[in-house]
Amino acid sequence: MSVAGRLADSVTAPDWLLAPVTERDRERRRIVALCLPFAALAVVAGVFPLVEVARISVSTQTYDSVGFTLAAYETLLTDPYYRGVAVNTLWFAAATTVTAVGLAVPIAHALETYDLPAGDLLVTLVSFPISLPGIVAAFMVLVLVGNTGLVTSVVAAFSAASPLDLAFGTTTSGLFLAYLYSMIPRATLILRGAYAEVDDRPAEAAQSLGATPFQTFRYVTLPAIRPAITGALVLTFRTALAIFGTLLVIQSLVVWTLQISRELGPGFDLRVAGAMAVAYFAFAFAFTALALRYTEAEVGL
Amino acid sequence: MLAATLAFLILPVAYTFVGSFATRMTGVVPEGLGTLDNWRVVLGLADTIGSQRSMGWTTLVALPNGIGIQVPAELAFSVALALGGVAINVVVGVPIAYAVARYDFRGKEWVDAFSVLPLVPGVVLGVAFLRAYPNLSATSFGLIVGYSLLKAPFMVMAVRSEFESMDLRRIEESARSLGASWPRTFLTVIVPQARSGILAGAIICWTLAAAEFNFSYIVYAKGTQPLALFLQRHISNSAFPQAAAAVSLFFCIVVAVTVALQRLGNRGFDAIGGD
Repeated sequence: MSVAGRLADSVTAPDWLLAPVTERDRERRRIVALCLPFAALAVVAGVFPLVEVARISVSTQTYDSVGFTLAAYETLLTDPYYRGVAVNTLWFAAATTVTAVGLAVPIAHALETYDLPAGDLLVTLVSFPISLPGIVAAFMVLVLVGNTGLVTSVVAAFSAASPLDLAFGTTTSGLFLAYLYSMIPRATLILRGAYAEVDDRPAEAAQSLGATPFQTFRYVTLPAIRPAITGALVLTFRTALAIFGTLLVIQSLVVWTLQISRELGPGFDLRVAGAMAVAYFAFAFAFTALALRYTEAEVGL
Repeated sequence: MLAATLAFLILPVAYTFVGSFATRMTGVVPEGLGTLDNWRVVLGLADTIGSQRSMGWTTLVALPNGIGIQVPAELAFSVALALGGVAINVVVGVPIAYAVARYDFRGKEWVDAFSVLPLVPGVVLGVAFLRAYPNLSATSFGLIVGYSLLKAPFMVMAVRSEFESMDLRRIEESARSLGASWPRTFLTVIVPQARSGILAGAIICWTLAAAEFNFSYIVYAKGTQPLALFLQRHISNSAFPQAAAAVSLFFCIVVAVTVALQRLGNRGFDAIGGD
């Protein structure tokens, strides 16, 4: 008998599920029925594949999940190459996150507290890149500072320097810009939500008592939006960790996601790829749970 | 600061769009503006070869007199895949959003968190699919199921906020006091009431699924490629104006979707997920 069959036999459904008597029982049955489709999708598309990938990562064979060995994880921990990739991933994601949120605070502040001309249009324009995939974000940076990019050409025309010397689209700096291109709009959207809920009367009171705009921001507005800034940092950092398409276009730095796809290329090592996927999932899950639990961020979980 | 960031975000979009009508883009001002050649190439209306090849065309509906309605294959393929994902999202997302919005139960916070947090990024899910469903991975079905899991949080969020603005208990009780069974109440009274939220969720999920690159890149092997891989092929291999036309084609889709969402009074794409 299959594992699923034995499992089904060993679990007997409670009475309230099969023959509900009270209204409370019927309500519980409804809740189960409502959650069931999502649970089924999560198991088929999420839990089962993740369990399988965890099994192959500890397998002694390359193509079959048999035996148990931690060799793949040992490789990740001890091989200097993989340690380097992990360090790259973390510092680059952290640096781009801090920069993106640092830029998003004044942008959200300007969009939500001042009556700007064409405010709705500005909001739409700032939000537009959210729906662009990472490969397009990379292309946008090449359009600006690539070999034939707009900024490259303009600067070259005014400085007599060769465009090829000026272009930095395919360097780590270019990659940094491409990350920001994806992350600034997301961070701005999170912070705008927080600004919309801030009571603006204390800020007006501070201003009327003679506080400068900067003092008002520093002592009145900033404390009110601090939880949202933490939330934005957490969620933007997660976004940064997941970026992949951008890296295929601008391959100037090897980070975790790019290395996972390289393991699947020539030399196909599914066990190491699996171990990397498991390590990634465990890290992202633990990071989100811990960060949002201990920072009182007003964003989910 | 705002102006500089806006320029950084929007200038390349505008320049790309203009450049898609140029023959060369090596100087400050693109040369030969006004040509439609690049668009004709990416839409598969001109002959192309090899890695720069454009979309093929396929017959969507064959009419009895031998004339068929032709559509660009990769665009139509992506539209269909993403629609399949959206269909699954409606079936799984609407009920769980209702459960969280309407009822109190043990473990509700966990159900809530798991339904709206995109926990598995596309690359990781792609590797997991390769391992779990080796025979299914390169098929449309695998892509549809993967898309639906990756984009489900956006459907749940859109529908849940719609449910939360409704007085669910009162609606449910009046329908039931008129004699409707509970499943009937849910399907014929509650769900239609939330249709604008469902529609907004469907549009957002559709766009994000059509643009999903990371998962498609790992899982997809051969045959007609999804739209995101078509974009990558042009960005990596094509001449600049031609790549610009491919990317501009995608801009057009996003603009159409944004306009549709604003018509629905939705604030647009949510910020939590995406990669």
